Amino acid sequence: MMGWRRRLAAGALFLLTLAATPVLADDRALSELLAPLCAGASAERVAAVDRLLDAVETGAAEPAWALRALEAVGGRRLVCAEGGVFITSGTGVIDAVTSAPGLADAVKAQGAFVDLRLRPYLDMGSAVLRLLASPGGPASGAALGELQKRAKIVPPGLIERAAAEPANAALAPGLRDVMAVAALNDPDPALRIAAIGRLAEAPSERNRTLLRDLSGDAALTSDPVVAAALADGITRIERWLTLGQVAASVYSGLSYASILFVAALGLAVIFGLMGVINLAQGELIMIGAYATFLVQEALKSVLPGLVDYYLLLAIPFAFAASGAVGIAMEVTVIRHLYRRPLMTLLATWAISLLLINLVRVTFGTQNLQFNVPPFLNGGTHVFADFIVTWNRLFAIGFALAVLAAALVVLRRTSLGMYIRAVTENRDMAGCVGVSARRIDLTAFGIGSGLAGVAGLALSPIYTVNPAMGVNFIVDAFMVVVLGGVGSIAGTAAAALGVGMINVTIEPMFGAVAAKVIVLLLIIVFIQFRPEGLFAVKGRR
Amino acid sequence: MSGLDDVLIGPRRPAPRRGTAPMVAAVLALLGVGVLAAGAGGAGPSAYVLNLIGQIATFGMLAVALDLIWGFAGVLSLGHGLFFAIGGYLVAMHMVKVTFLATGTPPDFMLFMGWDRLPFYYAGLESFAYTSVLVVVVAGLAAFAIGYTAFRSRVAGVYFAIITQAFVYVAMLLMFRNDTGFGGNNGMTGFTEILGQPLADRRTVAWLSGASILAAALTLGGSALLTGSRFGHMLIAIRDDEARLRFLGHDTLWIKLTVWCLSAVLAAIAGMLYVPQVGIINPRVLAPDLSIEIAVWVAIGGRGTLTGAFLGAVLVSALKFLLTAVAPDLWPFILSGLVLVVVVLLPNGLLDIRAVLASRQRRGTP
Repeated sequence: MMGWRRRLAAGALFLLTLAATPVLADDRALSELLAPLCAGASAERVAAVDRLLDAVETGAAEPAWALRALEAVGGRRLVCAEGGVFITSGTGVIDAVTSAPGLADAVKAQGAFVDLRLRPYLDMGSAVLRLLASPGGPASGAALGELQKRAKIVPPGLIERAAAEPANAALAPGLRDVMAVAALNDPDPALRIAAIGRLAEAPSERNRTLLRDLSGDAALTSDPVVAAALADGITRIERWLTLGQVAASVYSGLSYASILFVAALGLAVIFGLMGVINLAQGELIMIGAYATFLVQEALKSVLPGLVDYYLLLAIPFAFAASGAVGIAMEVTVIRHLYRRPLMTLLATWAISLLLINLVRVTFGTQNLQFNVPPFLNGGTHVFADFIVTWNRLFAIGFALAVLAAALVVLRRTSLGMYIRAVTENRDMAGCVGVSARRIDLTAFGIGSGLAGVAGLALSPIYTVNPAMGVNFIVDAFMVVVLGGVGSIAGTAAAALGVGMINVTIEPMFGAVAAKVIVLLLIIVFIQFRPEGLFAVKGRR
Repeated sequence: MSGLDDVLIGPRRPAPRRGTAPMVAAVLALLGVGVLAAGAGGAGPSAYVLNLIGQIATFGMLAVALDLIWGFAGVLSLGHGLFFAIGGYLVAMHMVKVTFLATGTPPDFMLFMGWDRLPFYYAGLESFAYTSVLVVVVAGLAAFAIGYTAFRSRVAGVYFAIITQAFVYVAMLLMFRNDTGFGGNNGMTGFTEILGQPLADRRTVAWLSGASILAAALTLGGSALLTGSRFGHMLIAIRDDEARLRFLGHDTLWIKLTVWCLSAVLAAIAGMLYVPQVGIINPRVLAPDLSIEIAVWVAIGGRGTLTGAFLGAVLVSALKFLLTAVAPDLWPFILSGLVLVVVVLLPNGLLDIRAVLASRQRRGTP
């Protein structure tokens, strides 16, 4: 019985080795294993699948051989006839046991129908045998998925063997998880408790449902040790799930705050410096997004190999496009209105109207199609149900980079020193030789350029169309009002606060209510600190 | 007191010119009577023209209301659409309630929600008098709440403008919801009658139009009186130097609040007159853009002059009616161009054009 030698290491050698397999005396035993699979009641065929898997476990049968048989059953190609069990294919017939050419007239025969009760066992058996026959093969990922779906009926011994295969190392954690689920129904309480503990260590909605289903089973909960382990496992999973939800909200709050920060930073710098609220800031964001789009399209036609990196390559273009528009605004209009800040509101609104309609006439009103680069698709699973998605991580990282760059420019360069000087006291800065007008122009250009970069960061997440700026402008203003005039730290803190409050309220009361509540909170806050979170000390 | 004032702020400044506002108000009143007569007599312009004049008159009234607070107290609101909408929504609710009592079926937007009766806040709205009182009270209270919290913490200038805009934006988001009983994104429409008169009738159109013109005339005349009074001087003082006025012992909070609430109530009344004429109200009225447009009317006409604000509203909205029908794509360009030219070249609006031209001429002659 044990005469089979383990010569089959990889599935590639499968057919070759089958042909060379010597015909042995226990062929009859193997043939008897297969015969019940040919036909009969589905319960009997299910039992036959189990027996076949048992035979593989004891070493009586080779995994590759058993796999061939099970796949033949699934394809209705396993036929029992006079003289043995045969596998038919389009070209010929082979003996299922010996692989010798079989009766030619069996070619046209068809195996028995596979019903819904048998199908899961066949799929599960094929999957586990595939992992054993060709460990680490191309289909092993799919096989693991299949086993996870059928975890309640898998043979633990075979799974353990598959997990021990060095080539399956990448799948081992998943396989252990499958084993744990299988062991939940094990008659041995010690194994059950171990399985419960193992599932509790990998918290997810699915494992919670599994354990909850189990705790409804009266036969199980009658054993106090198992019941206690179960209750403990459920509490542990729930604790982690709650943590996971909190982490997910914090993450989405952070990403929202990042977008708010990048959108509001340019506004805050300009407002701090000149007391000018730029109502066209949202449209500068829109222009940045359109510049990004143009860069993407240009790359598509000129350098298709670099299209995946368009987001990085477009940074200078988005900055320059919006910055140029901003400088043009400053020179033609805003320069004349420094003493009349309320009029700048109307003037910049008119400019925003102009920009929206210019873009609408040029590009049309439809949403732009952005190719999300592959490195921004998907995410990584951290723990419980908390997934870090790459596109949001990109937004957060981007905001951090912008924050760092802004801090360096303002704190470490002479331009930054001049900007701070003019922000604190315009006249005095002028007296000591700072050209306030030139600083204004530069700062306006930088603030506008920042808006353009914000548009770039938004393009993989939001819809881009001529009217997109309108959606950001009120939120961005609230951040500026809350953060205080001209303070980068204040803007960052306010963006973070507004973002976090928003994601806390939104699941409870909805998006509109979240906006209303945030606005009311800001109004209440202003009652106590009219100058914002971080007021710059200065005389104006 | 006045002696001390003389010492501290110098001799009393000359009272500002009464301006052209009373004259324009008188002309308007005549026009209003004319429209009413045209409605009663069945002669004169078509119902369409009468309706258009009436709508534009409510815009003029709205602009005068904003000019009171911006041109005189120096407080710019970019959210006056909120008060306009309060008046509009309340009168729309009144008409919906009247229709409901007559037909027994709620309007479509409520049937969609599966409601078979009107929500509780429609109670009593079948009475026009109660509705009118409610318009004044709700608009006044909303303005008081916003104004008190803002002025008390000395939120002013650009900050205040932005916060009022945030309010109107949030109100728009709320009104876009379909479960509030105010019609959601489609708004309320399909009104049939007001005060027992069918809205489709030319006489009713003329009557509403005349009422709007008379209301605008009253607003203009009353505002001229108010701004010429001691209270008006206080407003101008607040605009020019609020800190000094505060040091002199005046409580500027209540002065600002009074004129702010008055302005809001006037805007609400304008909305109340507007909606029956246009036949629909929806959350678009609350769009921040439309509220900014009100400020644009005032800026184009010239703020702080009342007449200018009124004429600016009439001019711009008449142009808009004309151009959105003829060349809708062109209108935003014309509007933004107009604003930029006025804001950069004519700081006091179109009424300034003569003075600017005159000074150009003077500079031109050696």
